[in-house]
Amino acid sequence: MSDAFLERPRWSCSLGGALAAAGNLPSTTPILHAGPGCAGNFAWTNNGAAGLAVTGSCLGLNVPATNIQENEVVFGGLDRLREEILNTIKLMSGQLYFVLTGCLPEVIGDDVEALVAELTSRKNPLVMASVAGFKGDSYHGYEEVLKTLIHKVIKPSASQEKDLVNVWGIPPTQSPFWRGDLEGLKELLGLLGLKANFFFGPTADFPSLTRAASASHNIVVSGLYGLEAAELFQNKFGVPYVQTPLPLGAAASDRFLTLVGQALKIPSRTVKKAIREAGQRHYAYLEPLVDVFNDMESQRHVLIVGEVNYALALTDFFAEDLGWIPELTVIVNQLEPESQAQVLNYHAAMGGTRPEKLIFANQSQIIAAEAKAIWEPPATKYHLNRQPIFVAASSLERSLAQQLGGAHLSLTYPIANRAILSRGYVGYAGGLRLTEDTVSAFIAGR
Amino acid sequence: MSYLDSPVPPIRERRHPETALAHGAARCGHGPQRSTCAVLAQSDRSFTQGSICPLLPALGIMTSLPETVVLLHGAVGCGSCANGNNVNVRAGRAARGDPGQDAMWLSTALNEINVINGGEEKLAAAIVEADATYHPKVILTVSGCLPGVIGDDLDGVAAKTQSQVKAKILPVHCEGFKSRFMATAYDVVYHALGRHLLPEKAAGPTDPVAVNVMNVGSMGLTDEKELAKLLGELGLVANFFPVFARPESFAQATQARISISVCPTHDDYFLRHLEEKYHVPYIIRHMPIGIKNTSQWLLDLGQELGLTKPTQALVKKEEAELAKALADLKPFFAGKTAFISAGEYRSLATALLLRELGFKILGIRSFHFDSFAEVELAKLDQGEDFIFNVANVQPFEEANLLKRLKPDIFLGHWHGNSTAARLGIPAQVIYNSGYAYLGYQGAYDLARRLYRRLKNPAFYARVGQFATLPYRASWYQEEPFSHIRETQQ
Repeated sequence: MSDAFLERPRWSCSLGGALAAAGNLPSTTPILHAGPGCAGNFAWTNNGAAGLAVTGSCLGLNVPATNIQENEVVFGGLDRLREEILNTIKLMSGQLYFVLTGCLPEVIGDDVEALVAELTSRKNPLVMASVAGFKGDSYHGYEEVLKTLIHKVIKPSASQEKDLVNVWGIPPTQSPFWRGDLEGLKELLGLLGLKANFFFGPTADFPSLTRAASASHNIVVSGLYGLEAAELFQNKFGVPYVQTPLPLGAAASDRFLTLVGQALKIPSRTVKKAIREAGQRHYAYLEPLVDVFNDMESQRHVLIVGEVNYALALTDFFAEDLGWIPELTVIVNQLEPESQAQVLNYHAAMGGTRPEKLIFANQSQIIAAEAKAIWEPPATKYHLNRQPIFVAASSLERSLAQQLGGAHLSLTYPIANRAILSRGYVGYAGGLRLTEDTVSAFIAGR
Repeated sequence: MSYLDSPVPPIRERRHPETALAHGAARCGHGPQRSTCAVLAQSDRSFTQGSICPLLPALGIMTSLPETVVLLHGAVGCGSCANGNNVNVRAGRAARGDPGQDAMWLSTALNEINVINGGEEKLAAAIVEADATYHPKVILTVSGCLPGVIGDDLDGVAAKTQSQVKAKILPVHCEGFKSRFMATAYDVVYHALGRHLLPEKAAGPTDPVAVNVMNVGSMGLTDEKELAKLLGELGLVANFFPVFARPESFAQATQARISISVCPTHDDYFLRHLEEKYHVPYIIRHMPIGIKNTSQWLLDLGQELGLTKPTQALVKKEEAELAKALADLKPFFAGKTAFISAGEYRSLATALLLRELGFKILGIRSFHFDSFAEVELAKLDQGEDFIFNVANVQPFEEANLLKRLKPDIFLGHWHGNSTAARLGIPAQVIYNSGYAYLGYQGAYDLARRLYRRLKNPAFYARVGQFATLPYRASWYQEEPFSHIRETQQ
């Protein structure tokens, strides 16, 4: 992998991730203090990368923004920001105004924190996150928004609600199926009688956000994202967190419920009963497919490309639910070797499936070379080839899938060729949808 | 001295100081009036929403170029919009017989250390590695905001690195904060292409039938075919630049008989250069959107080339054929009201077309306004009154206007239609490359799409019942242009 550049980066910057997070908080109006094209840039990005999801009430090109110019770069941008904040409050309602600072104000040294402290009021609470693009990627921006919520928005709680849990680890928009996946987690946790609070998306509400410290636990469904914030939450409010892999499909959901049940000290009888009943329902739906699924020879060798959550969760799903062979799993995140090891060890410790081969890469030529080494054309008459192939990856792997002769389904960022609304793959019902979409992808010409 | 002799192109503000960013008022004069630009140029807003910087349209052109790597020099998110541009690139390449090909863009993904120590070394290393990895003909090194602030010297890096690579390195100065007008995008891209892809002297003798037709990112192959067909009927061959043009083909532009702009605010930078350096004359008036506009565009070309008679005959034939086809649709449109928002020229020219179709124009929003479009506004002033608003998107003004004006249909730029849709107003995109907008065929196709949109606007009616906009109810009671103010630059 190159140290000098990223090829077609599979995420946006800190500001992009933070805007997607803050803009999808309930009753929250984000305000960008940034250059003039950042909002447009994110709108265009989501068009081609996030399942066509561009606008929200205060997203896309609706977001208030200072659009700072040379004048502000030379003389400072605080006057312009002050004016923008005051006018935003006049024009747009919100229970929270969330200032996000981009590259320019941070390089020129605008003291946005002081201005926000001056202008915030009980009536119009104003918070900020410092999320210049050069500070990190979309995942970093998501984490920074969570940290601001913990520091400034979530109120300490005198008591804990035993059945209430906060769910973290799915960054809005950067995880294209985030809305459906959060709902999937709500459904899963509901099987154990738990109530999920997840801050983001159409079904979140502001009072639940501010009351988050009354939860008994935080559940982080990622080997990577949301962990820093969960640590901070634990330190500040004394609420412990449970880390689990993202559960796509039935087998992973079984493990998820078992793990959460243990951590929350739910009687194992209750957990086992929930798992058994969910499995019965799941297979009642799946059963009619068994005939044709078997007879049309559906088993596939799989190439998976994606960020850490989905790359590993898809590996689990294809191996354990469908009984396919994950030949090559490519994780695209830029991680230091120790973080790479941590992520993989964690996934293994949680009982996840290890693919035949796993690499960290995000450059098309490297991915193609690894794939072609596995799927070489047969040199001899009798050849243990790994056909047929299924490519579960991003839209950028379409041409590779074609070269390999495999069917392709866009499941990881960037997704340009699917419209994503409520679809998600978490949980048992999510596993049914993933089965439907996968099979539909390879029988499209049937 | 030509602008192209200097490594860094001037911004629009400097080259066209009359360019306006913020304006809103009723147009109610009939006939010519005093220069609109003089009144408008010194305004901005006390409240703004996120907008589009020159990098976005520039990337639209750059990502389309075959055998080219776009190397974004900036933070990792700067230019992540290339994901959106790539949708057009794939469609455009597929239409041109090369399906399934993604654009190639890279980012130097500047981090905190680079911001402190400078990003030049990283950029140089990226150029060398990109050349070895992708073997492109051209590497466009594109500066986002960050290098502009930390002072990276793009041209210096290119000069130092050029000898180490096979590809031509083209520095593109696209720092978003340096210009308020996205039209600067066209100049910075033309600047890079003009400095590096054109020969020292004309590549060969003038080709008597070759016409440079300057295309824009919003034109698809469909529109190019229409213009090529019309020029073909006059015995002319249209060569399209710069969108989707092969790097080596630019030299051909120096041998053309004449150049013609499709969107006058888009092309003067390059066309002046072709004339000054290679003596290729140019026409930069009118946009071939609308029936009369298309005819005028063709007649201007015909006149310059001594083809007036055959052009008149062509125009007459085309207009008659189109009039016959539109006769069925016009009664359906008669008296319906429309509101238009898009790039400067496209919004104004489309308004003229809508009037030709029988619509009443209630309002027009242009992303900017400059002297190129005075002629277009003057044409519109011949008709009924309308609201004229200059805004780099700014949907809050639009929402306020639409609530008041309640048009039957809204026509807007790519990503500029959702405010109308959320208010329940049927919306028609007028910038989506691949659909026909230009020429006589474009006029008919837009009419056809408007017909089907108005025939069943159910989607918008339902969206309008439930979708939300972020504004307080009180905003709709205020004057829509109350945040526009005079400034002293």
